[in-house]
Amino acid sequence: MMSFLASYENVIALVLIHSVLGIGAYVMLSVNRFSLATGGLMALGAYVSVLVTINAGLPFPVALAAGTLVAAVAALILGFPVLRLEGDYFALATLAFTEVVRVIALNWESVTGGALGIVSIPIETRMWHLVLTLAVLVGGVLYIRSTFIGRILEACRQDEMPAQAIGIDVARVRLVAFVVSGAICGLAGALSAHYSYFIGPSDFGLIRSIDAIAYAVLGGLGNVIGPVIGAIVYTVLPETLRFSAQARDILVSLTVILVVLFLPKGLLSLGPALYRGLFGGSRGRASVEPEAAE
Amino acid sequence: MDVFLQQTFNGLALGAAYAVFAVGFTLLFGVLNVLNLAQGSIFMIGGIVGLELVRLVDLPLPAALVLAMVATGALSVLTQIAVFGPLERRGGNRWMGLVASLALARLFVALAQEIFGTQVLRFPAEAWMETVWTIGNVRIQTLQIIVVVTALTLMAALAVLLRGTQTGRAIRTMAFNPQVAMLVGVPVGRLTLLVYFISGSLAGAAGVQLGILYNAVSPFMGEMILLKGLTVLIVGGLGHVPGAALAGVLLGLTEVYSVGYLSSSFREAIGFGVVFAVLLLRPTGLFGAAVRQRA
Repeated sequence: MMSFLASYENVIALVLIHSVLGIGAYVMLSVNRFSLATGGLMALGAYVSVLVTINAGLPFPVALAAGTLVAAVAALILGFPVLRLEGDYFALATLAFTEVVRVIALNWESVTGGALGIVSIPIETRMWHLVLTLAVLVGGVLYIRSTFIGRILEACRQDEMPAQAIGIDVARVRLVAFVVSGAICGLAGALSAHYSYFIGPSDFGLIRSIDAIAYAVLGGLGNVIGPVIGAIVYTVLPETLRFSAQARDILVSLTVILVVLFLPKGLLSLGPALYRGLFGGSRGRASVEPEAAE
Repeated sequence: MDVFLQQTFNGLALGAAYAVFAVGFTLLFGVLNVLNLAQGSIFMIGGIVGLELVRLVDLPLPAALVLAMVATGALSVLTQIAVFGPLERRGGNRWMGLVASLALARLFVALAQEIFGTQVLRFPAEAWMETVWTIGNVRIQTLQIIVVVTALTLMAALAVLLRGTQTGRAIRTMAFNPQVAMLVGVPVGRLTLLVYFISGSLAGAAGVQLGILYNAVSPFMGEMILLKGLTVLIVGGLGHVPGAALAGVLLGLTEVYSVGYLSSSFREAIGFGVVFAVLLLRPTGLFGAAVRQRA
């Protein structure tokens, strides 16, 4: 067991970081907004935290806090004007944000090291940091969804008109969700930067934002466990095809397409179906739960 | 002044290719309300197919262009039949389509790498029309003229189709409202496939055009054009076909002019800054009517 953990340590750390990012994307999807800002916000968290540890020489916890805070503030400033935009326009504006961050990281050489990135980052992130972060996030989201705030979020996701009619400030709820999502992405960036010795602009492009959403959609949006399951599948599945980057990409993208087409509620929805299949026709408890989210 | 004229022409050639791509992109959005982020990879496949037809089969350039357009049009129709159509029939959440199109893009790029390799491909020298016309002090390559003429032809054909024919009227009715179109007997299903075909073949044509202009084609050229296409799409007004054409030419000119005057490579960031500003101040685009108009 221990040797298994040791040899797959990198994969496990990657799964954990991806899960955190997936939850960041999940938070936005659960208020019905398709945000492609994840990569940009993660980049902010990563670069800021690295500058804090390397240039300012401050301890690691300060760096984590700084990365998280800067990303959250960026989300606040970005969210104010941008969240007014509807559907696709919001997606495109957040895409533009991620690209601007990437271009700045690429060109502001004196600070970010340009295309070469920043090397010899002190390795400070331990496995338990990642496990703890994920556990706190999962627990926190589960708790919040069980309170009245959870019902407010659900109302904003399902239909904003009635939500507004019963007095929910949908715009503000979405802004708060965006800031929380920004903080999560920033934290993920700071943790992953201090796990990997090196960061560069290409680590945080559009592909990051897309992947984060893919984790959430793959696993299923009905539950916060969804993004975690999605991250596990999305990260571990390609490891079986280490020999060819192309074969990996083909496998991953086919999986996503098939899930989107045939399992709109994600891999999570396989659970109950499997259960019913194994244990006969009992319908289980009578349930008045709302339909799980797509 | 000569430099200025020279750059204007270079910019027009580049902008013509951008415009062709952006028009296909925006048509899909305007008529069917689909934001297809796989469009960049279809563009890339057009470029590769066009080049390989010249390189391996020895076809003349115009024939290769037409065949590449047919191939990418068919590919685009295939994505509709296999992915976007079923998704829409299910009526699922809108972002499912975005996720699917992003996955398709990745799939196409990986497949292209698998089949054609990862290196940059170039046109063979003998197929290359190196003729240069000199007017005053401005040097114009035949290839640039080919690109501009192709673009103008495609735009004119599309304009005639959309404005002058019964099919075009039906397509514009679909853009106005699909339900209304169905009520008045427009064959929505068939025309949807046609719009996908047009959109895909325009992307393919742009792929061949840029392949000619840069004399370089690679599996990774799709992402660059996708970002530029989105810029043009937004500046021109989402779903606004003439706006996209105009904004495409404008982007080409801007890029070429700014090479000389803007030394900083923050240029790209400025482009996205403009996108940002347009989205916030005038989301219907610079050329769009204040009320959203499509196709």
